[in-house]
Amino acid sequence: MRHLRIVTTAPVEIERPEVEETEAPAPETPWVTVVWNDPVNLMSYVTYVFQAYFAYPKPKAERLMLDVHEKGKAVVSEGSREEMERDVEAMHSYGLWATLQKAGDLG
Amino acid sequence: MTASFHTAEVELLRSLVGQLLELVRDTPEQKEGDDDGWAAALGLADDDTPKRPTDPVVLRLFPDGYQGDDEAASDFRRFTERGLREAKAGMAATVLASLATAEGVDPGERKSREKTRVELNAEEADAWLRTLTDLRLALGTRLGVSEDDEDQWLSLPEDDPRRHIHDVYDWLGWLQETLVRTLSAGLP
Repeated sequence: MRHLRIVTTAPVEIERPEVEETEAPAPETPWVTVVWNDPVNLMSYVTYVFQAYFAYPKPKAERLMLDVHEKGKAVVSEGSREEMERDVEAMHSYGLWATLQKAGDLG
Repeated sequence: MTASFHTAEVELLRSLVGQLLELVRDTPEQKEGDDDGWAAALGLADDDTPKRPTDPVVLRLFPDGYQGDDEAASDFRRFTERGLREAKAGMAATVLASLATAEGVDPGERKSREKTRVELNAEEADAWLRTLTDLRLALGTRLGVSEDDEDQWLSLPEDDPRRHIHDVYDWLGWLQETLVRTLSAGLP
């Protein structure tokens, strides 16, 4: 639905090529927040952050923390690009190393 | 909640948090020349986009939001770094304030073995938690710690300054573990 915003007066949208208006609306691509392992943060702290920020129950928070620790990274949330940027910013405010990417780009 | 510290520990924390505060308050990658500096300070600079930090400690505190997409990472930095710096500075300032009001810290009659009590409400405890994290990230990055490297640090000579810094890093970790345990108990 994002292309509909082209009718608003927001200056940033005006520069968009007109062709976008006529394109069929692509299904909203899901984005993900990835938390990466680092040698500093405590396992208990990472679990706490997943509980406190995402309101995940403790078992889910612990499983994600162990994925980060053992596999080097874990997808901790999924949603629109804007939502994932908010989550990544929040992770950075907690000192966790996080990035966002399109869901399909996971290696 | 209440935390209890030796006066020497309070001094150490105050010094470390003070340094962190300076680090995060620093305007990112100032341009050359006074004119630009003033313009940036007044918000008049043409381009106030923060550059990617060159200091690994600063880069760890404010990491890229995207991997393999420099333009998106730069945009993300422009929209978030300033706010993150302000938030981290605010939390460090909260920690300093709670240390300043700590019971028993009277500059006139300080003794290093005396105990000091620090009372923390929920908001202050959160500021402590995140500030301890930032301190450990800063020290850990500066030292170059890696997973399971404890023996390496213990094998350093007693007079190696890195050994002392690693002791402080360990102590901050113990402090944080204690705080996390207390806060976790309060979660639903």
